Amino acid sequence: MLTYIARRFAATIPVMAIVAFFVFSLLYIAPGDPAAIIAGDQATPADVERIRISLGLDRPFLVRFGGWLWDVLNGDLGQSIFTNLPVTHMIAQRIQPTLSLMAITLVLSLATAIPLGVVAAWKQGSWIDRMAMITSTFGFSVPVFVVGYLLAYVFALELEWFPVQGYTPIQNGIGPWFNNLLLPAVALGLVYMALIARITRATMLEVLSQDYVRTARAKGAGQRAILFVHALKNAAVPIVTIVGIGFATLIGGAVVTESVFAIPGLGRLTVDAILRRDYPVIQGVVLMFSFVYVLVNLAVDLLYTLFDPRIRY
Amino acid sequence: MKRRDILKSAAAGAAVLAAPAIARAQGSRVLKFVPQANLSSMDAVAGTQYVVRNAALMVWDTLYGVDSSITPKPQMCEGHEVNADFTTWTFKLRPGLKFHDGETVTTRDVLASLKRWMVRDTMGQIISARLDALEALDDRTFRFRLNKPFAKMLFALGKSNAPVAFIMPERIAKTDPFQLIKEYVGSGPMKFKTDEWVPGARAVFEKFDGYAVRPEAGDWVSGGKRVNFDRIEWIILPDAATAAAALQNGEVDWWENPISDVVPLLRKNRNLNVDIGDPFGNIGSFRMNHLNPPFDKVGVRRAIMLALSQSDYMQAVAGDDTALWKACPGFFTPGSALYTEEGGDALKGPRNYDAAKKMLAESGYAGETIELVVPVDVAITKAEGDVTADLLAKIGMKVDYVATDWGTTGTRRAKKDPVAQGGWNIFHTWHAGADCINPAPYTALDAGGDKAWFGWPKSDAVQAAIGEWYAAPDLAAEKAAAVKINRLSFENVTYIPTGFFLQYTAWRKNLTGVVKAPFPVFWGLQKT
Repeated sequence: MLTYIARRFAATIPVMAIVAFFVFSLLYIAPGDPAAIIAGDQATPADVERIRISLGLDRPFLVRFGGWLWDVLNGDLGQSIFTNLPVTHMIAQRIQPTLSLMAITLVLSLATAIPLGVVAAWKQGSWIDRMAMITSTFGFSVPVFVVGYLLAYVFALELEWFPVQGYTPIQNGIGPWFNNLLLPAVALGLVYMALIARITRATMLEVLSQDYVRTARAKGAGQRAILFVHALKNAAVPIVTIVGIGFATLIGGAVVTESVFAIPGLGRLTVDAILRRDYPVIQGVVLMFSFVYVLVNLAVDLLYTLFDPRIRY
Repeated sequence: MKRRDILKSAAAGAAVLAAPAIARAQGSRVLKFVPQANLSSMDAVAGTQYVVRNAALMVWDTLYGVDSSITPKPQMCEGHEVNADFTTWTFKLRPGLKFHDGETVTTRDVLASLKRWMVRDTMGQIISARLDALEALDDRTFRFRLNKPFAKMLFALGKSNAPVAFIMPERIAKTDPFQLIKEYVGSGPMKFKTDEWVPGARAVFEKFDGYAVRPEAGDWVSGGKRVNFDRIEWIILPDAATAAAALQNGEVDWWENPISDVVPLLRKNRNLNVDIGDPFGNIGSFRMNHLNPPFDKVGVRRAIMLALSQSDYMQAVAGDDTALWKACPGFFTPGSALYTEEGGDALKGPRNYDAAKKMLAESGYAGETIELVVPVDVAITKAEGDVTADLLAKIGMKVDYVATDWGTTGTRRAKKDPVAQGGWNIFHTWHAGADCINPAPYTALDAGGDKAWFGWPKSDAVQAAIGEWYAAPDLAAEKAAAVKINRLSFENVTYIPTGFFLQYTAWRKNLTGVVKAPFPVFWGLQKT
């Protein structure tokens, strides 16, 4: 197992290198110029050109890529073109809000979606099943920002139960931290919940028709034990796979959610950096996201062994 | 009782009874402000973004500062002496000026700051071209010796248009003028909290207790800048709906530029004030590339003016709220001293598409496809671009509507190449009215060809008239020069103004002292 983990970590290096080259190439050929944005609307073309040169943006592709790669290999993601702050510092500033949002979303979604999917499968064709599927269809269909605005309007503006925007670090108290993140987590988690609930239902339906479930019933096992011990464990592998894949959806959704609720997370950092063509920040964040995604895939693969003893690495 | 109140009471018990009063007292010392855009950098000399200038006005001070009548008043300076022909200007700093790091402001800092500023600013460049010497006479006195008269020195040093002549410590001011500074130490009324800066989310300013406040009342960037807050927090809210909700909820105190769509909603809230923020407003701009056909022909440019309806543009930009816009057949800011409509008749009266088509044909328009670059991520330029696409089609021009973003437009508009090689024909923007009150900060008016602003208009006559304004000894002479500039700029069609529009600002009623200005003024504000 340890050899497998080490091998998987080693395999991330070429993956990250390819991602790095791909991102750098895309940014190089993409139109847009941070120098023009720094210079502002009143600047002359000559001013913009001087700023481009001072930023080193006039250098050839390979020179720029080589320099950046060397810095990355030395643990330096560079500095923001605009703020002069180190990219690592900017990511560190933003990582807690995003991780917090994703953690709450994940917990809420799993805690809701898995029981919902299990019960829907158990009561297939009943009103519970239909309600569960209507809810999940709604979750799929309504864009994250619409849900976000609706929640903010009802629970923040009208009822004044939650703040409209912002983020309180967990160090300032779990209550305010949770209070700031609950609405965004619900908005973000709806689509995730819908996805997991549907997969759980479909997988459970298949598992519940297996012989060993009939055997368990025949042996007098209780309904709860059949559902949550025998069936769910055997249905877990596809669910875990979907949870992993859904993580990518969460990252994408976080960009929108963080904008709607003004959470200073990595999603907003990415969008702001792209709009301003802050190349070092874009490269740093994409590199980090790709690394996280590789880690999530690894975690999913390792989780398989927990749920299915036949899987060995 | 609201759920949050119940939770608070349950959690904190009796001690919480005193909390609201304490919180209110602390809250009144903190101002939460939503700026017009993200504060992405903090160098208002190397860059000219308005949001950066607005933040910098709190952190750095200037030698002189303009008041609300655009008259420069001594700020860091005690005063000045000037000889009869405006070639020797001697200034003396006030005593007791300190930077945020505790160091005394000296003429070494002033000279280094002015040298950096002169590289980037149009007026600074004019001073630099006439400069024999910029010298320190002692720690508090310095002198400009010029080889040609320059009567507008005080305005140059005190203007609020970017790049502003901010005074920085010498070590910072020695930064290459084309690179952003890395340390944000000024001598203004607020300190910038670099450690709390989360670009894209929040910027924090803390009251500088060592600030040497002038005795006069504060008036724009002149006079006593008395800040009644311990902290001013800029909360970046790019989403208008979120900002509107946060203002209504009391999570923020002041929103600099609410979009007109949400203004009716804000007006309904009895806890909010909504009013015009900047009396100088903005002038919309239809910018043509004078290097590429067909707009290299003045007749084609004039034909556009015959068909262009400013009211169409303004309705698209500012909506049906007629308090927000008006036609502007002139290049200078309506209501300012130099405003004139001389030469602007082509933009008045009913639009004449047939005459425009005829003039196009006579001027040699050969059916070229017009490359119209439209940044669709900015509401104003998107609206202007849509109206232009319609206008050009109406007068029989072929249009290639290039929907793009502002960042890309910034690169594209700098290209002087032919359209086939990535060049362009038209893009839209707008100019802050405060930058259009006279030719000094008005880069878009320059018709210096290769060295002019994007579009590179060339007219020696316009340039000569601008020179006359610089040499004007009094307002009457300035007005005479402005009339000439306006007429010649219309003849040359340097660019086409698409109208004058204003923007609202909104704040909670417990905030008093909000003044109308081209930038948010934080001194004199109070929160109860």
